[in-house]
Amino acid sequence: MSQAISISNLVKTFGSTRALDGLDLEVSTGEVHGFLGPNGAGKTVTIRILLGLLRADSGHAVLLDGDPWVDAVELHRRLAYVPGDVNLWPNLSGGEVIDLLSRLRGGVDAARRDELIERLVLDPRKKCRTYSKGNRQKVALVAALSSHVELLVLDEPTSGLDPLMESVFQEFILEAKAEGRTVLLSSHILAEVEKLCDRVTIIRQGRTVQRGTLAELRHLTRTSITAGTERPVEGLDTLAGVHDVGVDDGHVSFDVDGAELDGAVRHLTQFGIRSLVSQPPTLEELFLRHYGDDVVVGDDDAVDAP
Amino acid sequence: MTAAPRHGSTLTGTAQLLRLVLRRDRVRMVIWVVAVVSLVALSAASVVGLYDTAESLASYANLVRDNAAMIVQSGPGHGLDDPTVGAVLINEMSIWSVIAVALMSIFMVTRHTRTEEETGRSELVRAAPVGRHAAATAAMTGVLIANVAMAVGVTISLIVFDLPVAGSIAFGGALIGAGMMFASVALVAGQVASSARAANGSAAAVLGVAFALRAAGDVGDGRLSWLSPIGWAQAVRAYADERWWVLLLPVVASIGLIVTADSLTSRRDLGAGLIAQRPGPAHAGPRLSSAVGLAARLHRGSIIGWSTGLAAVGFFYGVVAVEAESLLTDNPEMADFFAQLGEGTLTDAFVATAALMLGLVASGYTVSAVLRLRGEETDGRVESVLSAPVARRTWMGGHLLVALVGSVLVIGAGGLAMGLGFALASGDAGELLRVLGATVTMVPAMLVLGGLAAALFGVLPRWALVAWAGLAVAAVVGLLAELIGLPNWMRDISPFTHLPALPAAPFEVLPLVMLTAVAAALAAIGLAGLQRRDLT
Repeated sequence: MSQAISISNLVKTFGSTRALDGLDLEVSTGEVHGFLGPNGAGKTVTIRILLGLLRADSGHAVLLDGDPWVDAVELHRRLAYVPGDVNLWPNLSGGEVIDLLSRLRGGVDAARRDELIERLVLDPRKKCRTYSKGNRQKVALVAALSSHVELLVLDEPTSGLDPLMESVFQEFILEAKAEGRTVLLSSHILAEVEKLCDRVTIIRQGRTVQRGTLAELRHLTRTSITAGTERPVEGLDTLAGVHDVGVDDGHVSFDVDGAELDGAVRHLTQFGIRSLVSQPPTLEELFLRHYGDDVVVGDDDAVDAP
Repeated sequence: MTAAPRHGSTLTGTAQLLRLVLRRDRVRMVIWVVAVVSLVALSAASVVGLYDTAESLASYANLVRDNAAMIVQSGPGHGLDDPTVGAVLINEMSIWSVIAVALMSIFMVTRHTRTEEETGRSELVRAAPVGRHAAATAAMTGVLIANVAMAVGVTISLIVFDLPVAGSIAFGGALIGAGMMFASVALVAGQVASSARAANGSAAAVLGVAFALRAAGDVGDGRLSWLSPIGWAQAVRAYADERWWVLLLPVVASIGLIVTADSLTSRRDLGAGLIAQRPGPAHAGPRLSSAVGLAARLHRGSIIGWSTGLAAVGFFYGVVAVEAESLLTDNPEMADFFAQLGEGTLTDAFVATAALMLGLVASGYTVSAVLRLRGEETDGRVESVLSAPVARRTWMGGHLLVALVGSVLVIGAGGLAMGLGFALASGDAGELLRVLGATVTMVPAMLVLGGLAAALFGVLPRWALVAWAGLAVAAVVGLLAELIGLPNWMRDISPFTHLPALPAAPFEVLPLVMLTAVAAALAAIGLAGLQRRDLT
């Protein structure tokens, strides 16, 4: 499968700060790729290098078979970008900005534009000055999604959207995927990435720490379970992959590694499950646990080969 | 029923916000204060040196006293009937120092009130236990501190040059009064206008009207001058039998404006002006389809605003210019003076000076238009354009092109209005083109200042605002070079020095070509610099 984005050993420094410290990222054509990391990990810097806004100090970056710095204009005909922090011209209306950005990319698909505006419930007549963050993001999303480009680069695109609009956004991404477009989706919300992405890359402090499919990363994630049982649960803490067991008056709560979930739930059924609540793992917990205080950055064993 | 909030609670947090204002403005404030104080000191040194005899004082007074054109530029000339060094000095420097303190105050107030709201920073502040009036109070207090610092510096430097203490204090007080007056105007403008840019623009327009009112009043019977805060500053009559009670006028008027702003505050939302945002079109017009089209749209409002302002000032100058000629007959001494200069008639000399003034003001447009590039970058709007298939040079070139066209339109509006005013007042339509030509000649020098801004933006973006220093230098050279006795090499730094002083001097094409070439080279440096740097 050909690569839409191929980055290896990318380094970018700002003064004495090493924003990117040998970052790797591979995105195959036609996939939805999650780009995860805590705040300040270097996601936005990477994207800005891919857009030719910043120049890397060293390393290799190929975007759609071109050089993101040298071939910026040609490459931008084939991609659309939604910034994480959307800033628009205060005295232009949302509709004007959408039309402008679409025309800069080569033309407006009026029907698609109107459909997107309707589904996102956006008032295009308002001046950008009066839009909330979420509405500014909708403007950028409509402009990006109404153009027929191969690659969508989305930097935390749902950070200002309400849950209803997040689900609309997820429909858009699945539609784009069905149309064969490639999507690079930066996020720090694991649940969003799980719903949409084929593969993910996790970065931290400017370096890639994990990459692979979500199934491959399952061993990293831990589910929290709280269960009410007919009889007191015994022997749970002897199972592999079960942590932090707490028993309290007919209830048991524990964390279990993704790979060991099946065994743990099987064990519970012996005691007659009356209620069961499971909480999916969050990226925050994952980072806290795996890269907490004493971290070995770039642990080679943990990095799956692409 | 809930208890009414104690009044003091709306001021909670003022002290901390004041410290923030002073921290953020410590460099700006020092630059303004040092620049104005040192120019006043240089002017004082020069005037004290030049007018050391009764004869020299008398001949200055004769030149200036009855000359409408001179009065328009400087003021009513209090004390020139029995001239002292102090009266001469006030006549030479009061206008520009009052305008400087007014501009400093306007920009500072808007920066800490409306701009803070627009950037969303004040939401962060207002969510903290901070009163509704704290931000405005802190901004006004900060401006007061800046004004007092400037006035104290000015007063001390005047006293150092042996000028009478009473007059020096009176002038310092007049500066504080004018500064606070325009700070209050900006505070009200910030409540009414629909954006920070519009607030600055309308407060600056009030300053322009104040200038015109006092000019008209000073030339006429003086009554109109009493409607102008600039007129008040001069009506204090520093060094000419001081009228201390006049200092109360700006105090009373400022309090009135602050109360007005306060009552307006409770009628509007954070971030919105009283003049509501009208909804815009749902679709973009056909011209909004390229980087250049976007640039034209973004600059449109400021081109219209600056053109209107320049046209008003220009028309006024044009009407007054005719007066300059009439004086030739009744003041032979002045006619001799200008004959000595050997360059055309008195009217021509006045038109040349007025054209230079318009050129300097219009350069404010040119520099601000080019620096819009930096604003687009720091406000994060550039990435939306450059992530589309738009080359960096196309984006920057579009803004530079619009700044160029805008500069011609702005100075052209000023020149056309001045020519029109002149033609109407003199009844000679032929003057229109001559006056227009004299003003449009300023364009190459304006472009050099714009080019400087472009080069800084491309190569040293963090220092882009230094381009304003270029305009400040040009203004000092253009308006004060004679007064403070600048050496020739320093005068040559200003691009305006190299222009032929039309219509008083003959037309020369070479300097215009050279200046245009310098501007183009600077713009090319900027474009090349942008090509290879990171965008932040």
